[in-house]
Amino acid sequence: MSASLAPECNEVKERYDNCFLKWYSEKFLRGTATTDECKPLFEQYEKCLSKALKTRGIDTVLKEAREDNRENDAEHMRPARNGELYLLSN
Amino acid sequence: MKIFQQNTEFDYSWEEVSTSNWRKYGPWNEKTPHVIAVDTLSREVDPTTGILRTERLITCKQSAPKWILTLLGGEDTSLVYETSYVDPVQKKVTMCSMNVTYSDILSVRETCVYQPSTSSPTAKTNFHQHAQITALCGGWQKIKNSMEKFTVERFEQNAKVGKEGFEMVLEMSRKVFAEQRELMQLQQDSKILQELKM
Repeated sequence: MSASLAPECNEVKERYDNCFLKWYSEKFLRGTATTDECKPLFEQYEKCLSKALKTRGIDTVLKEAREDNRENDAEHMRPARNGELYLLSN
Repeated sequence: MKIFQQNTEFDYSWEEVSTSNWRKYGPWNEKTPHVIAVDTLSREVDPTTGILRTERLITCKQSAPKWILTLLGGEDTSLVYETSYVDPVQKKVTMCSMNVTYSDILSVRETCVYQPSTSSPTAKTNFHQHAQITALCGGWQKIKNSMEKFTVERFEQNAKVGKEGFEMVLEMSRKVFAEQRELMQLQQDSKILQELKM
């Protein structure tokens, strides 16, 4: 997996990435994911990363990027046609 | 404004492609040394649609020529903000990215979609890439044109290398996955043997 922009977060990032990849291929894609077992690891990683983003002043530019990205969210988070596909598969 | 588009196919299933996609810039890919770091900013599954939404921040080493770096302010790393949406039911991965660095001078917006190929949906995956490049600096049409032209050319050059790099990751993932399965089988077999001995 790739490194973090903050070297001090690398170790926890790697643990989280491995956890996520396993969850993604074994549960999410198979439609059997019920809980997010990687959440505790993500929270540790996020804590480390957000500190680094703040120190480097990246948090403010990210805010702008998120604003700019709203139309993508609106377009790609739409439910499947009438929700039918999704309901049927469940 | 200039547009770059391409369509290509991978000889791997959508499940393999969508999984390996998370490892695209890792050590298995020798073609992307300019990607220094990939950080996950947030990740959640939407309870109504079942879509997995992920925000990432990608840190790259600059490789643009000197004249462009000078115009852009001379920073040696650049940041890309990416949001991706995975719909496991419709089997669709959509990745949208934009540049965060120099965004007041140049806007690069890219959308990539991975979907099962129509000709062979269980074995092949289609990849569609669409990028929109707009130079924003005021005046100086000639400089704007050169910047857009340079960026589109970069996309063209990267298209082939990018595919080769991702194929390295796909091949390696398949190998590792097969080895893991074999190992599990061996463990299971030895368990059965042990039980037989007892």
